[in-house]
Amino acid sequence: MKLIERLAHIDRRILFLLVALAVIIPLLVPMGLPVDITKPVQDIYNMVESLPERSIVVVSADYDPGTEAELYPATEAFLEHCFRRNLRVYMIGLWPGGTTLANIALNEIAQKYNKVYGLDYINAGYKPGGQVMLLSLGRNVADVVRTDHAGVPIDSFPLGRAVKAARDMSLIMTLSAGDPGVLHWITYFRARYGTPIACATTAIMAPQQYPYISSGQLIGILGGLKGAAEYETLVKRKGRAVAGMDSQSIVHILLVIFIAVGNVVLIYQKRKK
Amino acid sequence: MIKRYLPLIIVFSCGFFMIIAFFIPLRWFQNTSQTLQNWYTGIINFFVFIGILNLARVNLEKIVKKRTDFGYSIVLLVFLLLMMVAGFFMGGTGGRAFLYMFNNFQVPLSATMFSLLAFFVASAAFRAFRAKTPEATLLLVAAVIVMIGRVPVGYWIWHGFPNVVEWIMNVPNTATKRGIIFGADLGLISMALRVLLGIERSYMGGGKE
Repeated sequence: MKLIERLAHIDRRILFLLVALAVIIPLLVPMGLPVDITKPVQDIYNMVESLPERSIVVVSADYDPGTEAELYPATEAFLEHCFRRNLRVYMIGLWPGGTTLANIALNEIAQKYNKVYGLDYINAGYKPGGQVMLLSLGRNVADVVRTDHAGVPIDSFPLGRAVKAARDMSLIMTLSAGDPGVLHWITYFRARYGTPIACATTAIMAPQQYPYISSGQLIGILGGLKGAAEYETLVKRKGRAVAGMDSQSIVHILLVIFIAVGNVVLIYQKRKK
Repeated sequence: MIKRYLPLIIVFSCGFFMIIAFFIPLRWFQNTSQTLQNWYTGIINFFVFIGILNLARVNLEKIVKKRTDFGYSIVLLVFLLLMMVAGFFMGGTGGRAFLYMFNNFQVPLSATMFSLLAFFVASAAFRAFRAKTPEATLLLVAAVIVMIGRVPVGYWIWHGFPNVVEWIMNVPNTATKRGIIFGADLGLISMALRVLLGIERSYMGGGKE
């Protein structure tokens, strides 16, 4: 019983230390746990596979460095799939830091597949205005996109000239960390123009998107780092997401143990009273 | 009188025009609606400018009056200025100076702040996630299944775990979320109508006429 008394008043720094160890040790000594593929992830993969070559995919980097750990691996895996399938990528962002961050992955992966800027891929940069900007974008891209992220007129690039309205976009992939993000794309873009939408979100946002999957408004979802790991597995890319799965597994087990111990302490305290 | 009624007239006419234009595909309606939307996008850019001015004003005041932790305000303003100089005069947001600061300061600092959540969640799991009522127990059981089934170790323990999680997400979670979404959207529609009809006027501020 003395042990339970001690557990009831455990210093939270001990819990922090255990979490830190649960993160660090599996990164240093990987266990290689198998990554299963869920249907919402498989559906996005299948959609990309079904697109004809040279189709235009809009990748919207709607996140910032705070959620980089979860959404950057998803960005890399999705771009890898697009370029491997010889699709054209039109990047845009509803968050100021998103396109700067995703541009690193865009350039790296484009170089790997010998893609040409302006012809095979382009970065239109951050566009403010949220839902109203999306409505204008779908109707007439030129109303909201006049230059690329570096300030060069978008019309000077073949891909810039090719995207005039929503009808030219085969798929929207929003990498979303909040507001504005996936919900705006569904409500204002998909509802108005009918363009198929897929998303990658932080794990905490994932459950909110399931009603839109079952209604057919969303093709699928890469939920958190696990979703990114599933996509990495599908595209056979050895990335940061699969590497992080062992750590995430152990941390989740540790949290379940914390919950169990916390409840044992609760029962003990109730009985004592 | 003008100060009171002019905003109401603008909101009423613009709001109802946008609703009507949505259902009328005539060119004039669509073009005017598009022009109004473009104006909105332009105005949003001013908000960014106003936001920066306000941030600078609040922090400068803090420094001048030497309020608690005014040192953080100095750091904030110095880096705000540095990022702006790099963005405007040293090659834009794709320039070396801007990217160096973005990749080496903003990315790791923001990621660190977000990562701290894991530690607070762990502490909360131990101290607050208690089965005190039947509802709380149900929530706790569902949370434990999702936590285990959402990571590869769940699949490794039992291959059926991810399917159970998908069922929780697709059935109870979706049903509940739909209820919340419908409720919130009905509230949103009634709020929008209150604003358009001039019943809700809090957006006009509480100042004297």
